[in-house]
Amino acid sequence: MTAAERPVSTALLAPDRSNGAALRASMAYMVAGLGTVLLMGLLGLLMRLDQAGMLVISPAWFYRVMTLHGSGMIAAVLLAALGGIAAAVSATTPLSARALWIALVVYMTGNGFVIFATLVGGFGGGWTVLYPLPEHGIVWTLQAALAIYAGYFFVALGLLLFCVHILFAMRRAHGSLAKALAWRFLFSLGRDKRDALPRPVELIAVVIAIDGIAAAGAGLIYLVPLFAQASGAITTVDALFAKNFVLLFGHTIANLSIYITAGLVYAALPAYTGRAWPTSWPVAAAWNLIIPLMLLNYSHHLYADFAQPVGLQLLGEIGSYAVALPSFIVTIIGALALIYRSGIRWTVAPILFALGLWGWVFGGLGALLDATIPVNQVMHNTLWVPAHFHTYFVLGALAFALAYLWSILDALSGSSERRGTRAAAWLYGIGGAGFILMFFVSGANSVPRRFAVHLPEWQVYARIAVPFVLLLALSLAWLSWDLSTRFGSAWRATRRPVVGP
Amino acid sequence: MNPHTVFLVLIVLGAVWTACWAAVLVSSRRTVPFERLEKSETRIRITLLAGFALVAIVLFAVTLRWLPFRESRVAKMGAPHTIVTVTGMQWSWALSTRQLPVGVPIEFAVSSRDVNHDFALYDAHGRLLAQVQGMPGYTNHLVYVFPAVGEYTVRCLEYCGLGHHTMSATITVTDR
Ligand code: HEM
Ligand SMILES: [Cu+2]
Repeated sequence: MTAAERPVSTALLAPDRSNGAALRASMAYMVAGLGTVLLMGLLGLLMRLDQAGMLVISPAWFYRVMTLHGSGMIAAVLLAALGGIAAAVSATTPLSARALWIALVVYMTGNGFVIFATLVGGFGGGWTVLYPLPEHGIVWTLQAALAIYAGYFFVALGLLLFCVHILFAMRRAHGSLAKALAWRFLFSLGRDKRDALPRPVELIAVVIAIDGIAAAGAGLIYLVPLFAQASGAITTVDALFAKNFVLLFGHTIANLSIYITAGLVYAALPAYTGRAWPTSWPVAAAWNLIIPLMLLNYSHHLYADFAQPVGLQLLGEIGSYAVALPSFIVTIIGALALIYRSGIRWTVAPILFALGLWGWVFGGLGALLDATIPVNQVMHNTLWVPAHFHTYFVLGALAFALAYLWSILDALSGSSERRGTRAAAWLYGIGGAGFILMFFVSGANSVPRRFAVHLPEWQVYARIAVPFVLLLALSLAWLSWDLSTRFGSAWRATRRPVVGP
Repeated sequence: MNPHTVFLVLIVLGAVWTACWAAVLVSSRRTVPFERLEKSETRIRITLLAGFALVAIVLFAVTLRWLPFRESRVAKMGAPHTIVTVTGMQWSWALSTRQLPVGVPIEFAVSSRDVNHDFALYDAHGRLLAQVQGMPGYTNHLVYVFPAVGEYTVRCLEYCGLGHHTMSATITVTDR
């Protein structure tokens, strides 16, 4: 039997089409996210050109661009991911379009503040806004620091609103969160099937909403003392406390994108392979485990802070290994099994999903090595760090998010992609791989991250990277063009009334 | 730990993964019913789970012997011969001495006057050897034995603002 003979419905639109408005809001998230990615990607190119010595900008501008690129990308990829998961669950879990739009406006307000702080306010404190640097920037003002804090506050708030809404909607649709997490099925080792099981993507939505709330909470806990300090209410904030919380926030928010977009693989890949991917016991177990595990490994960012309690250091290493297991054993293997001898047609969406699987694992390998404490001694804050996270952003989360948006258009637009466009998807893989490999090579040669000026002997790595970044840009432009020609009809399809009984 | 070794490990593991991934993609040209695969899928999962868990446990145990923290290094290298006080500030380093002996444990007591910095030692070939954060309000202790005489470069590896990339110093290591 071939894939074409065994259609598995994507079920994007509910049979009564009641989720059209929620779908439109979700598509707005995805388009706003991916549009921002394109702009921030140009800033990335600018930085790599600077490090190559090919287009030199002043250090002050480099650091402003670096800050905007980092926070903008993190926010943008997360936004696209949130839009994807909202779209994916909306057919079976009714979402309020109004709640989604409100969260989007709050979130984008945050992004506005970040743009303002960096481009107008001169803020260049890095996307991690690590205390006390924002308030001690020397070349930027306290107002600029407050603007960036305000930006993070609204982004965290927007995320919080989104996640809270997801939890309420899931509880309403499934009766309770325990049911939406398939607990009875899970704890009976798969024997008790009395509760209707959530679809994997619904279960994942609950998981990420819980961790999203935790991340937003950590962000707010981080920001409150900083606002208090900036206003003079308290004199100093403990640097180690601040670092723990900002990384709990930043690391988790970055991880969220990857796990959310992994959920999108469950939602869309089955339709392309003609095989179902139900909520099996391993799926339920793996994703429930992710809830605590996602919050345990942030402390691998603090290995070089010897003042950190050793217990937390070791937890960082164990947590990092542990979180990789359920993701690899269940999600990666599950996705590969879906593809294996499936007779799948390699169009753009499945190509991007496959590239995302590659990058998620390759970036994960780089991360696991760096999460090993003795290795971290010689890799921490070299370009190895941007190497691993760019791998599972560019060739992971972003590839998944793009693939998912593509699958929405495949399902709704009523037209299919141009034949040649799949070349753009493969180009994306080649450009991305070359780009991230040069980051890894730089890291292995001890090139520091976040250096506006690279020594002549380091520039060669950036020079090799530049053509690959250009390939990436070309493929993104090509894909966006194809997307834009089909987007309108998909949008209108969400408005079409039900025909017939 | 040599960073090039780590890179080699990444490339080898990455190549194995890439080969498996590519094999799955290529296999998709043919078709078998999904039901036939499900048993072997479970078997593969259990094997991989056991294998990876084992590797993780071994790796973790090995790590415990190579911790970079003060107590572990003192236990391995011996009590520090010299203590160097290091203060990071935007954007320079103050070291109590820049002349150090080769082959004996040196303790760097690192702190910061303003924001977070990171005291990183590079050898003359540009290789990163060891590092520790310099944090306001804390003193972190890095113990290190210089393997050879020569010039070493200190760089800052925690982003600290406009002059971050210029924040370096040299240390001269000599025979006693
Ligand atoms: C599209 C191609 C991209 C290019 C060419 C690019 C390039 C760069 C460069 C050159 C840096 C500075 C590295 C350093 O010296 O420390 C950087 C940093 C960063 N990038 Fe990208 N990047 C791209 C995509 C992304 C994506 C998709 C994300 C998603 C989250 C991302 C997130 C970040 C972050 C968080 C930083 C760190 C900023 C900081 O240190 O404050 N980048 N990128
Ligand atoms: Cu610095």
